[in-house]
Amino acid sequence: MTHAASPAGAEKRRQGINFRRYLTSPQSFLVLIILVLVGVIGAAKPNAFNGAFVVAPLLTSIAIFTIVGLAQMMVLSIGQMNIAVGNMAAFGAMFTGMAFDLWDMPFLVGLLVGLVAGSIIGGLTGWIIARTGVNSFIVTLAMSFALLGLVPTVYSMLSPGSAFTSKPDGMEFLGRGTFLDVCMVGYCGPAAIPVMVVPVLIVVLFVGGLYARTKLGREILLTGANIKAAELSAIPTNKRVVLVHAISGALAAFAGILLATSTGSFTPAIGNEFMLQSFLGPILGGTLLAGGYISVTGTFLGITLALLIRRGLELFGAGVEMLNIFLGLILLVALSAERIRTVRRRRPVEVPAETPPDTPSEKEAIPSGASA
Amino acid sequence: MKFKLPATMGSQYLVLIATIVLGAILLGVSSGGNFFGPVSMQTFFQFLAVPILIGLAQMITLAVGQLNLAIGAIGGVAACLAAVMVADWGFNPWLGGLVALVVGAVAGIANGILVVVTKINGFIVTLATMTVLLGVQYALVNTRTISADNWKSVAALGKASWFGLPAIFVIAIIVAVMVGLAFKFTTTGRHLLASGDNEHAATLAGISNDRSLTIAHGASGLIAGFAGFISFTSLPGVNQSVGGDWLLSSFAAPIIGGVSLTGGTVAVFGTVLAAFVVRLVDSARAEFQLAPAWVNLVIGAVILGTVALGRLRETRETAKAGMLRARVANHRINAAAVENTAAEEVKL
Amino acid sequence: MSTPILQARNVTKSYPGVKALDNVNLTLMPGEIHALLGENGAGKSTLIKYLTGVHQADSGTLLIGGEERNFANPSDSTAAGVGVVHQERNVIREFTVAENIVLSRTPKKCGFIDWKKVNSEAARCLALMDLDIDPGTPISSLSSAQIQLVEIARALYTETKVLLLDEPTASISDAEAAKLFKVIHRLKADGAAILFVSHKLDEVYAHCDTVSVLRDGKTVLSDAALADHPQDEIVNVMVGRSLASLVTPERTVDSTQEPVLELRNVTTTAGHGGISLQVRPGEILGLYGLVGAGRTELAHAILGRERITEGELLVNGHTAKIRSVRDALHEHGIGYVTESRKEEGVFLDQNITRNVAATTWGKLAGPLGVVGAGRERELVAKYIDELSIKVSSQDQLAGQLSGGNQQKVSLAKWLAADPRILIIDEPTIGIDVRTKRSFYELIWGLAEKGLAILLISSDLAEMITLADRIVVMDSFTLAGTVDNTHHYDTMSQDVIRLIHAKALV
Repeated sequence: MTHAASPAGAEKRRQGINFRRYLTSPQSFLVLIILVLVGVIGAAKPNAFNGAFVVAPLLTSIAIFTIVGLAQMMVLSIGQMNIAVGNMAAFGAMFTGMAFDLWDMPFLVGLLVGLVAGSIIGGLTGWIIARTGVNSFIVTLAMSFALLGLVPTVYSMLSPGSAFTSKPDGMEFLGRGTFLDVCMVGYCGPAAIPVMVVPVLIVVLFVGGLYARTKLGREILLTGANIKAAELSAIPTNKRVVLVHAISGALAAFAGILLATSTGSFTPAIGNEFMLQSFLGPILGGTLLAGGYISVTGTFLGITLALLIRRGLELFGAGVEMLNIFLGLILLVALSAERIRTVRRRRPVEVPAETPPDTPSEKEAIPSGASA
Repeated sequence: MKFKLPATMGSQYLVLIATIVLGAILLGVSSGGNFFGPVSMQTFFQFLAVPILIGLAQMITLAVGQLNLAIGAIGGVAACLAAVMVADWGFNPWLGGLVALVVGAVAGIANGILVVVTKINGFIVTLATMTVLLGVQYALVNTRTISADNWKSVAALGKASWFGLPAIFVIAIIVAVMVGLAFKFTTTGRHLLASGDNEHAATLAGISNDRSLTIAHGASGLIAGFAGFISFTSLPGVNQSVGGDWLLSSFAAPIIGGVSLTGGTVAVFGTVLAAFVVRLVDSARAEFQLAPAWVNLVIGAVILGTVALGRLRETRETAKAGMLRARVANHRINAAAVENTAAEEVKL
Repeated sequence: MSTPILQARNVTKSYPGVKALDNVNLTLMPGEIHALLGENGAGKSTLIKYLTGVHQADSGTLLIGGEERNFANPSDSTAAGVGVVHQERNVIREFTVAENIVLSRTPKKCGFIDWKKVNSEAARCLALMDLDIDPGTPISSLSSAQIQLVEIARALYTETKVLLLDEPTASISDAEAAKLFKVIHRLKADGAAILFVSHKLDEVYAHCDTVSVLRDGKTVLSDAALADHPQDEIVNVMVGRSLASLVTPERTVDSTQEPVLELRNVTTTAGHGGISLQVRPGEILGLYGLVGAGRTELAHAILGRERITEGELLVNGHTAKIRSVRDALHEHGIGYVTESRKEEGVFLDQNITRNVAATTWGKLAGPLGVVGAGRERELVAKYIDELSIKVSSQDQLAGQLSGGNQQKVSLAKWLAADPRILIIDEPTIGIDVRTKRSFYELIWGLAEKGLAILLISSDLAEMITLADRIVVMDSFTLAGTVDNTHHYDTMSQDVIRLIHAKALV
């Protein structure tokens, strides 16, 4: 699994196993909570982990929402945010739905159409942000307005029931199949693991590798750490901003399409639940809102935790309202933790006379776009 | 005291007013005058009260450089709690209304304190409290719709009409005027703006930024609660959807009205005008029988256009300043050259 | 002898690892103008921030009019009659001049702001300063120098017994400074005490009565009569360790070589006009000027961050169209070590490896843009060694380094990119003397290797030490060129004359 692709992550690796640091990292803390939760749920409801009926759907939603989390994480890595992540998912999925329903395209081609549509709308958003220098919050908010208007309109114009329901070959397999359906030399896989996990894992590895190993990933992180310094270090920051938003749009679209394949139909409601979750995962997992630091593993763990809580609450018969209250409170706790971590990271070891660390150079209250 | 508007802002107001007048005329013509009929006008203003209030609520947090995602959730909880108190627990409807305001103020102050104490980004704090409050709202009413028949005395206010206008619209305008006056004539209001504009300079002038943040979030919550109260009085029933669609429109009004996201500015008049524009778009949508989604599309485009234009104007101004400086510089060089040649000629 | 208006005794203030103020003593008597001198980073601004309640000290006492006081915040000090104008501008840009002046105590009537009084009070303060500014103007429409004057007027708004001025004349014209001194002398006549921080010793000797000098956070000269200490002695006290041990290398620039960077009569969108200059390989060309003369902006124009609208930019004799810093580096081999290292030079929250390697990934990346971590670390290690940057490991965050080492990281980033032309903007601001010297040696070494260096600095001594030629800028134009003769006095007079000659036009 890809590790936190950041200086601090690298520092952790290089210094060998520093137990205290390791145990206090948000990622290991998340693993601990997840294990405890699984234990508690397993002990209280012994049949809770029935493979086909509980684990497989849970893994399916973890897979989908991990992609949603990554879509947001990418944008957070440049110190911006994407309010329209759910709407971009709906937009991308709409094109895939149209490709299947109206243009009779095969599954993979339709998927590609959706991804391209998502990356175009994301890239357009990024271009507007880079070009005008307007705060990413406003631009993605406006984009979310626009798509919120556009998507249902297109659906209602093009399909009688405001949904695209054609299912080309392969859609069922990806959306609802499990490894039980994958048989080789007489053996079939476990029913608990959905097929969807495979492409999602590939995407996760791709994003992790991008940040950990490539020039692009490094340049993106530096753009997030300090956009002005990055530009003055000969990094083409505007291009990176556009690229990040384009990838974010494509990831959002991918999540939307996955959701549609798992429910069986393309509707304007796809992505409605994405926005909150998209922030929850990365932030619980230790990605900084200010930019410059990400954790792919953490995003996955954060999403897993949120969905596990949801599942647990359902098993114990608690209502949706409790879920919201829980998630909100967790978010606050996680952020207070982030706050403490940031303060610790910024504490200088040696401060010279001329640079008193008194002027808090905290980022603006609103993570700004390419603010001048 | 003269109310002098900065030139750029004045022109922005003119554009908004022109848009409203033009839009209203177009709507009037295309509806064969029906748009200006008493019933149509009454509905138009009736549904303007809440957009104005939530726009103001957002504007106050923007003034200190923060934002408040929880406005809809606060209003929703306020309205639902009032409804449950009256319908289920038998309280006096007016007391329910009062509780709505208190809930709003308390939730807002809680936001402010969280932001100040944890120093966490206001976006995330209000995202978290929004989630919690949505849970609370759902816990209060579940899937029920509590009918306004339970609070007829208060609901009468929602239907009442003062000076030929819906009472709730008049109330919203009164709130707007009060907010405007508070930002112009009270030190607290000025201090909010100072904190939003330049935290460090405000500290040096003896202003507490923590106080400003708490007050701004508190006032924003109070007005959101007030919007919840207005919904409580004017809607036929209260359910979990109250406040659900406020988030985006709460940003639309101040941003189109000329408030900057970086803090330090307010535009009460602009926010109210922008709420008019948004309402007009909605009326046009109804007139031409388009899907409700169209409104969002148009408003999204308008927001983008507004901020992009503002940005463009800024860059053009810096460019102009540079050009002016270059002209002065070149002029000085030429003047010096002329002098030199003159001096040389004299020598010769 | 009367009681001192303000007395600070044994003030100590530490930041982790360093003492910003170490047993500092200062006494201000009524009716005196007291100069506070010291190099950059000596602790002058920290002391002023302590005296006005912006910072609290670890130990020490503060007496105002003989009474012990403890300022918890700036409003306490204002109430006690201590007025201040900080070095950096602190105004609410959205407010008018009038409101900025009265912000700390806005006049009210029946609980509401009395705008009429706001404007009349502000007009009164502006009149004290002889400023012809309408109190109703938005402050954002004023120039930086005008804003500074308004801030001084603001310090006069509340009843001021003590006025602290942190480099008030650094960015205003002589005519404006003259107005300022008129006000200062009037306040002095009224019995106020004025603390005056300045680097311009001529001014200090012309107007001040007493002097205190800070060096490395310690008072090395305390409350002495200025008349007893001639200028040379004060300079020695300020600098302490004499720079004499610095051996200036014999430098010769081959003037037959073609210039690598040349500007021909350039006009820019930033507002420069008629700029022409040439830099040859191995040459250090100094670009000197006061704050706001347009030096950094000129660097930005060369880098393509501002457009050149008229004239020509030539690199290696060929006309160059540079659109971005990236262009400048990759197409033309121009590097730029930025002015403010914290905001633009280094990534404080990133490790050393990332900071130094930022310009080299293009070269290091293999197929698919994958960067080999090993090669990257090797490269960075080489520069850490070469510039002797003090780090615990490459994984240390840049924000944890001292200012000098941060600046070296910023320089290493550009050396790693292997440029042929290097623009270095204010390299030694806020850096201690020892690191400064190692920096000078580094820069000489680079020039020796044949790099063309354009050095921007407001430190004239530094310019004279380093540069082969000094181009003087004023108000976005060139005021003239001074060849380096290494005679400080004559050269500084030449430079100052150039600036002033222009200012008169």
